[in-house]
Amino acid sequence: MSKMILSPAERSYLYDSLTQAPPIRPDSRTDHQFRPLEAKTSFLPGSNGSARIRLMDGSECIVSVKSKVVLSALESSLIECDIDVSGFRDDSNFVSNLKFYLTNLLQHNFPTQYLKLTSRYAFKLFIDCIVISHSSYPLSLISLTTYLALKTTRLPLLVSDVNDEEVAEQPTFSDDWDNAKYIGDFMKDGEVFQPPIFITLGVIGPNLIFDPSTEEEQVLENGLIVSFYGNKVITPISNINLATNSNNSNFKGLNRSLITKAMALGNKYCPAVVKALDTLIEQDDEEGTIF
Amino acid sequence: MIGHRKRLSSGLSVTSKVFVRSRNGGAQKIVREHYLRNDIPCYSKSCNSCHDIVKPDSNGELPAFILSESPKKTKSGLSHYIVLDTNIILHAIDLLENAECFYDVIVPQTVLEEVKNRSFPIYQRLRGLVKSEDKRFIVFHNEYNEATYINRNKNETINDRNDRAIRKVASWYAAHLKANSSQNINIILICNDADNRQKARSEGIDARSLVEYFDDLPNGEDLKDLIPSNIHNSAEFHGENETTFPEYYSSARIMAGVKNGTLYQGMLNISTYNFLQGTVQVPAFKKPLLIIGSKNLNRAFNSDSVIVELLPKDKWREPSTSIVEESNIGANDNAEEDEEEDDTGAKGVVSDKERILLAQEALKATSAKEADQKRLQPTAKIVGIMRRSWRYYVGQIAPSSVSEENTGNASKSCFVILMDKVLPKIRIRTRKAKEYLGQRIVVVVDSWPSNSRYPNGHFVRALGEVESAEAETEALLLEHDVEYRPFAKNVLDCLPEEGDKWTVPDVENTEDPQLKKRVDLRHKLVCSIDPPNCVDIDDALHAKPLPNGNYEVGVHIADVTHFVKPNTALDQEGASRGTSVYLVDKRIDMLPMLLGTNLCSLKPYVDRFSFSVIWELDENANIVKVDYMKSIIRSREAFSYERAQLRIDDKSQTDELTESMRILLKLSKKLKQQRLDAGALNLASPEVKVHMDSETSDPNEVEIKQLLETNSLVEEFMLLANISVARKIYDSYPQTAMLRRHAPPPATNFEQLNDMLSVRKPGLSISLESSRALADSLDRCVDPNDKYFNTLLRIMSTRCMMAAEYFSSGSYGYPEFRHYGLAVDIYTHFTSPIRRYCDIVAHRQLAGAIGYENLDLSHRDKNKMETIVKNINRRHRNAQFAGRASIEYYVGQVMRNNEAEHEGYVIKCFNNGIVVLVPKFGIEGLIKLEMLGDANTAVFNEDKYELSFTDLKGRQRTVAVFDKVTVDVKSIKDEVSGKRKAQLLLH
Repeated sequence: MSKMILSPAERSYLYDSLTQAPPIRPDSRTDHQFRPLEAKTSFLPGSNGSARIRLMDGSECIVSVKSKVVLSALESSLIECDIDVSGFRDDSNFVSNLKFYLTNLLQHNFPTQYLKLTSRYAFKLFIDCIVISHSSYPLSLISLTTYLALKTTRLPLLVSDVNDEEVAEQPTFSDDWDNAKYIGDFMKDGEVFQPPIFITLGVIGPNLIFDPSTEEEQVLENGLIVSFYGNKVITPISNINLATNSNNSNFKGLNRSLITKAMALGNKYCPAVVKALDTLIEQDDEEGTIF
Repeated sequence: MIGHRKRLSSGLSVTSKVFVRSRNGGAQKIVREHYLRNDIPCYSKSCNSCHDIVKPDSNGELPAFILSESPKKTKSGLSHYIVLDTNIILHAIDLLENAECFYDVIVPQTVLEEVKNRSFPIYQRLRGLVKSEDKRFIVFHNEYNEATYINRNKNETINDRNDRAIRKVASWYAAHLKANSSQNINIILICNDADNRQKARSEGIDARSLVEYFDDLPNGEDLKDLIPSNIHNSAEFHGENETTFPEYYSSARIMAGVKNGTLYQGMLNISTYNFLQGTVQVPAFKKPLLIIGSKNLNRAFNSDSVIVELLPKDKWREPSTSIVEESNIGANDNAEEDEEEDDTGAKGVVSDKERILLAQEALKATSAKEADQKRLQPTAKIVGIMRRSWRYYVGQIAPSSVSEENTGNASKSCFVILMDKVLPKIRIRTRKAKEYLGQRIVVVVDSWPSNSRYPNGHFVRALGEVESAEAETEALLLEHDVEYRPFAKNVLDCLPEEGDKWTVPDVENTEDPQLKKRVDLRHKLVCSIDPPNCVDIDDALHAKPLPNGNYEVGVHIADVTHFVKPNTALDQEGASRGTSVYLVDKRIDMLPMLLGTNLCSLKPYVDRFSFSVIWELDENANIVKVDYMKSIIRSREAFSYERAQLRIDDKSQTDELTESMRILLKLSKKLKQQRLDAGALNLASPEVKVHMDSETSDPNEVEIKQLLETNSLVEEFMLLANISVARKIYDSYPQTAMLRRHAPPPATNFEQLNDMLSVRKPGLSISLESSRALADSLDRCVDPNDKYFNTLLRIMSTRCMMAAEYFSSGSYGYPEFRHYGLAVDIYTHFTSPIRRYCDIVAHRQLAGAIGYENLDLSHRDKNKMETIVKNINRRHRNAQFAGRASIEYYVGQVMRNNEAEHEGYVIKCFNNGIVVLVPKFGIEGLIKLEMLGDANTAVFNEDKYELSFTDLKGRQRTVAVFDKVTVDVKSIKDEVSGKRKAQLLLH
């Protein structure tokens, strides 16, 4: 499937603008600026946590987090992700890749020790993402929505004994949903619960642009996926052709120095992204927070 | 947590509730939508606005307004309705049922739900109060009413929220009545939570504690004594810190333990000979686990559903062979048991792994065949109680616990010794202890804290003097949980309007399609044969020779289900009573008199509806054909067994009716022979009958029941009908047919009896391969020197048998339907619908099976049948026990005047006493070692079941099981329990 959304003249104009120093982006963003987004959290009544992000172009992603009490010995991982992208088969490469990225990131970078209830039992999180509509590559959309959903995830409060090493106890929980705790509440003083996120960077000439739009994707020379956790850029950092749906004639190899630059930019600007998301949760109006 | 309201349409708004459900270790978030309405009335007759808002229910009926327009007044002249808080209902349900107080009561739905979650039995009693309408109780659905619904506030506990909801009901009612009623009716909120009262008063609600309320009632002083113990400030309730029982495990630990097989759940069964020893049968082991000592019994009552944990192997024991009764231990409660070592504390935590190893050991021990292992039984301790069996208990105040000095009006604590001697005494507080001395009183247990040696309870009411017939009869009905109150109004409302004028309608010219299906059998020569003076005749018979040489035999059963329709109040009452209860001088009916003794009873000379089973039997009583039909019959005669026997035997009688009875007799003998050939058991129980002086109703003679041939005539045809019906309903409803089974006795039940036989009567034994083998081996067990020995053995065998039980056919596989005692593959009860609920269900199912009417859903639903079956099994058992207890009481009264020497048999031998059965009275009694002779000389040979001692006259004596002994029987009153017991003395 290939789509031409820009004419050769438009492509050329856009390419030239983006290779300027500093790059001139069609929507007048600076290189490290994200597209404006609108978010809502805790609106799915049946879920432990939920979030939705919408972009101005109509891209929309909904994430639900549900929990289940499991015997930790029987589980290979306490986090399971599932991604559904409208218009794509579940077994398509596109969806499988997205799913792999997200699962891999969360499984390796998550304070799972706080999901442990007792020596035998733990909460397992089921993260379900639906991309209702998207134009640019949706990974960072999914990841930011997941961040919001996880941050607002609440787990029922255990009221039975925690020590079941010697004598088995069946976990019992407070029936009051108000007693349910955010994952962050379990953390020690000084620790903050910040799930990992992905950001996408477009490579064009000597420039790196954050969160490329679908038009920008058409002319990029390469794309980078940078993961950020614990206040710093972490591995994996991978490159990808973000214009998955069209022939990108500009696509070419990646200059090594850009990777270092990407890490530096990530370390510089990602804290602001995370902070913006946290502020979003704080400012989310009371109306929807009932769940 | 509650969400915001959104109006859906006029009259309905919606909110949502969020909570966590933890079940089986999981934690699930549940969100429920909650709809609010504005058409819920206040149910007050004095209200002039609510009649306009009510809407008819699904049956088109408008809700009834129940609260009186002129309710009771307090001393100060305040006419009032009462709003109840949950704690009042949970603790003072008896007071609510008291006829002296609590009329016009509003139960907020919030309270009803809290009660339901806390105690289901109390919930059901509350529902009963509401349903009967006698005391004008209503449930106000405040949670669904827009005006009274409240949101839970942030950080508000659910209890605080519910308290607020209850206060809201009170204030809403007060304001509502003020605005809409011309009468000046006040609302009093009764609540025993001081904090809640405080808040209520600050909101302008008249809130009172129970005591404050009674203070303001004209008859309040008398009622105050009935206020339960734990409603008083529990700190001042005495007797704390006498002892410490181990705390129960948390439910989290219990659930996990039961799941991984380290804890077990079962029913505690306290030994009737030793109140400090109990057994718990759990599915994991073949033999029951022993629980020895009060620390291990850990506050459990007999028949509580308990959780047990195995004790380490070095604590495993043989069952105790001594007799321990609480009354022996004396009134000063210095009952200290021998063993109390501090077990778990010193060893620290026992891990699940060790427990599982222990369980494997226990499994080996309980299934071991080796002789040396045989008597060592695993012991266990109780670590949790799943369900208390607490109910009303009858007992009397222990005189020694009442202090002598006159203490005026202050309430004092004293002990109540219960009639059921496997239960501990109960501590109550009363101001009238002295007044109640020597009376049978009813008490309820409220709690048993871990630091109190005895459970705390409260007085409910006095039944009357100990040993007065009324008090004793009521006591034994209560003790056996028999519902004996008169039928409620809503039950009686279900009876036919015509009352006793009801007659069989004209069947010739009728439009009623069901009536058309009835077969007119009035031309048949039907008669009934029953015990003398029988008024509830539920069966009748007829027989006639057919031209082909076969016989037509009909069994006609009272058509009770014509009057008792499913899902009516009458049906529910019958289902809950389950059976009629027959006492020596009293009958407690399952159905109202009008039905039992009149409309349903197959009285002679009148037309009656019946349900008929008609067979064609050949010369050898084999079934050629069977038909079932709803019918109309006219009984020609109601015989007593004796009169029927005389008429059959009288050669000069050759009329058709007598001839038909002779046919019945002839066929019944063949049926009986067939049954015995198949291996039906002929067991014995010492059944006695008490003769009452017809004028004074005083019991004056006891006789063993005599059986005539006509008894067996009726019995055989009833069995045949039951079997035929069982096959038919099982055929039509394979999953839910109401059947009755009798499981073969497990070999372990007979272990001890066979061991006794092999030691005491070498050469004799009971074989257990089949019922036939058992029957034959019982026949062989005769002692040529002792005619009664065989009967004795049959009595003892009966006690080793399993009890027959009702079940719905889906619960067992076909081979397990077998009735062991009757030696048939399938069986049910069909023939006594007036006095057994099983028969009513069987009637309905048979009516469904023959297409007479549609079967009600409740008899086609497996779960509903399960509930019915469970209840009627329990009721049936209780009725039997109550009947026996009644006979026991009257036998005691008879013996009072007939002190004499009688023949008895030793049936049990302990190291400190023997149990002797006296066949003449059908009683058994314990003779303790002290009464036999010098306790210090006694030698108990456990293997030989014999006890040697020097008797009071200085002779050396040895008594053993099966020995025939002569005993002095006299009736003595136990001063502590107030129970009259047969006192036996070895002659």
